[in-house]
Amino acid sequence: MGADILIIDDDRDLVNTIRIILESRDYGVRAAHNGEEGYAAITEKIPDLIILDVMMSTDTDGFDLAYKLKNSPHHRDIPILMLSSFPQKMAEKGPESFQHILGEGWPVTEFHEKPIDPDELLDAVEDILRDEGRT
Amino acid sequence: MKQGYQLIKEQLFFRKELVERAYWLINLRWVVTGAALVAGWIGHFLDLKHPIVSLTILFLFVALNNAAFSLIWRRLSAREHPEVRHYAIFAHVQITFDLLVLFCVIYLTGGISSPLLIFVIFHIILAGILLAPASCFIYAGLILLGTAGLIVLQESSILPPQPVLFQSLLFPSTQSLPNVLALYLTFASAILLTAFLVTTLKSSLRAKSRSLLAVSKELDASNTKLTALYEMIKEIELCNEFQDLIDSATRNAARIMGVKGCSIKLLDDQRKRLTFASTHGLSEDYKAKGVIDIDKSPINLKILKGSFFTIGKIQKDDYFQYPEDVRKEGIASMMCLPLRVEKMIFGVFCVYSDIEHFFGPDDVKFFSLMADLTAIAIENLKRELNKIWFLKKAAHQLRSPIGAVQSMLDLILKGYQGDVDDHQRETLTRCRKRLAVLGDVINDLLKLGLKRISTDEREYHPVDVIEILKSLEDLYRPRASENGVDMTFRVDDPLPRIMADEKMIDDLFANLVSNAIKYTPSGGTVAVTLCAETANRIRFEVADTGIGIPESEIPRLFSEFFRAENAKVFSEEGTGLGLVIVKEVVDRLKGTISVESREGEGTRFVCLLPGAKDLGMRPRTTPDER
Repeated sequence: MGADILIIDDDRDLVNTIRIILESRDYGVRAAHNGEEGYAAITEKIPDLIILDVMMSTDTDGFDLAYKLKNSPHHRDIPILMLSSFPQKMAEKGPESFQHILGEGWPVTEFHEKPIDPDELLDAVEDILRDEGRT
Repeated sequence: MKQGYQLIKEQLFFRKELVERAYWLINLRWVVTGAALVAGWIGHFLDLKHPIVSLTILFLFVALNNAAFSLIWRRLSAREHPEVRHYAIFAHVQITFDLLVLFCVIYLTGGISSPLLIFVIFHIILAGILLAPASCFIYAGLILLGTAGLIVLQESSILPPQPVLFQSLLFPSTQSLPNVLALYLTFASAILLTAFLVTTLKSSLRAKSRSLLAVSKELDASNTKLTALYEMIKEIELCNEFQDLIDSATRNAARIMGVKGCSIKLLDDQRKRLTFASTHGLSEDYKAKGVIDIDKSPINLKILKGSFFTIGKIQKDDYFQYPEDVRKEGIASMMCLPLRVEKMIFGVFCVYSDIEHFFGPDDVKFFSLMADLTAIAIENLKRELNKIWFLKKAAHQLRSPIGAVQSMLDLILKGYQGDVDDHQRETLTRCRKRLAVLGDVINDLLKLGLKRISTDEREYHPVDVIEILKSLEDLYRPRASENGVDMTFRVDDPLPRIMADEKMIDDLFANLVSNAIKYTPSGGTVAVTLCAETANRIRFEVADTGIGIPESEIPRLFSEFFRAENAKVFSEEGTGLGLVIVKEVVDRLKGTISVESREGEGTRFVCLLPGAKDLGMRPRTTPDER
């Protein structure tokens, strides 16, 4: 069994899709459908990578969780791959401002736009896990 | 600019008269002395018996003195801050001098019987206008003393009698003493009456100008307040964040009303509680009291029913939910008004003063105007933010399922769920493409919607258009060669910058360039030119050898969801919104766009955009200037 990856997204079809993609490479996949469930899953067992949606039960649920994790000494090292259907180019001011998402102070490791290209996702996951030394 | 009341003060104040008349008096003296001298000599040649030599010497002496006065005046007026006191002394000296000279002339032209005696009246009037009332009466007294002295000296023959030029009406030369006395008393009462009339009239004029001054001062004060209010509303109308707006409102309100603090409290959805949304000049402790239960706060309950509330002296405990805090905060008086739009009340606007009984009826009127305008601004912004929120939410909700379906199609297409045969692959690919177009439509609609809602030109800054086109070149060159289209870019450097934001220019360029590539068949060319049309106007041109636009369809080119018939046949992809976005951006930037096209031959879009005026031409080697 490969690395333990936690998917947090309220779109169950997407969760399933990602699950199928990841399981094709033998990653261990867990899923949660909002920030709260996600946090519970993280405290239960720290995953090697989190794939996190932005807008779930609230518009900023994903970011709220990401910041919460960054502020917790136990969790700040977990890499986060963030997904959003809000195209980066169109980002406006406010919490959904993704323009500087990978800059300093941002709680996520990488940012991807939906829809998900299976090959790209797998490459990204592999890269992150390798960089973090978790494979 | 000088305030109105100051202008009126300067114009109406009698001291101005005094200063201005100082020079006028000197000029008048030249004329009168000259005229008297000429008249004296004409009289002499007509054989009148007056002592022409003495008179001439006297007039020359006056002229000499007047030259001295002229010098003094010049020195006085050359001072940077001339003192009114000096002008008053100067006026006294001149009037006294004139009076002495006049008495000499009167004596030389026949003493009290001289017809020139009547001229003393002018001195009374002059002193009455220019100097204080007391001075006027003093001059009247001096004139009477002088006249009496003349009578005594003449009657007692101490002064040698002079020939009477013409018989005076006042004191005919052959009179008995009782008659002279009676005539003198008449003369005295005329002089005093003149002094009285002049000084009374002047006092009443002064009083009137003082009240005019007071009125204009009040007008100026309210004008200043209204101007400040206008500036405040202008500032808050420009806010595009809710908190910025209410913070700006409280800050400005406290400043304009001249008070220590101000707050805006907003009602919750249940209309049960008020929460401090913004405060200015109040302590954190006070603010931290936070929520006010309106059922426990009779004041706020009253305000929320629509009436205003002022309290001149805070002492009674039962008014407030937290009376100790009000006192601790140093609030001595306060005024609160409802924030409402039409009949809908949604909050309370308060100002707090550390002075008791600070707010008068005028303040209530003015503050309610301010509260109404603030409420409208708040409501407008709320509506705008709601629209933006709705658009973004709607776009997200529409895009999410598309993204999910696209992701699932990719899963199948890429063989993650088993093999796919060619027929299935073709159908699934078409599905994937149609979904992509749907996604584009949603993106374009959102862009357009957001552009139409927010007119925030404050965030415009000088944009380097060359930089943007360069990055688009990298993006579109591969796509062009994929389609077998030859693409050329001609960019002049430097070019004027444009006041905009990068996204707008990016949308504008990208839409025109991608359209050209999309509608140009393999083997064709797309030529992109970016150059200076004039010193402060750039020209962006995209010319292709593509399918062109039918002439009949050109007028509808920039309308929503329009796609030319031949375009639909040529390519399925296209939202019908690209050119609408282009037009929107061009309009926003106050530019122009024109199109020339011939079906089957090609299309040329020419877009002219005004440069950032004050910036002019700049080499783009300094991108960090802003």
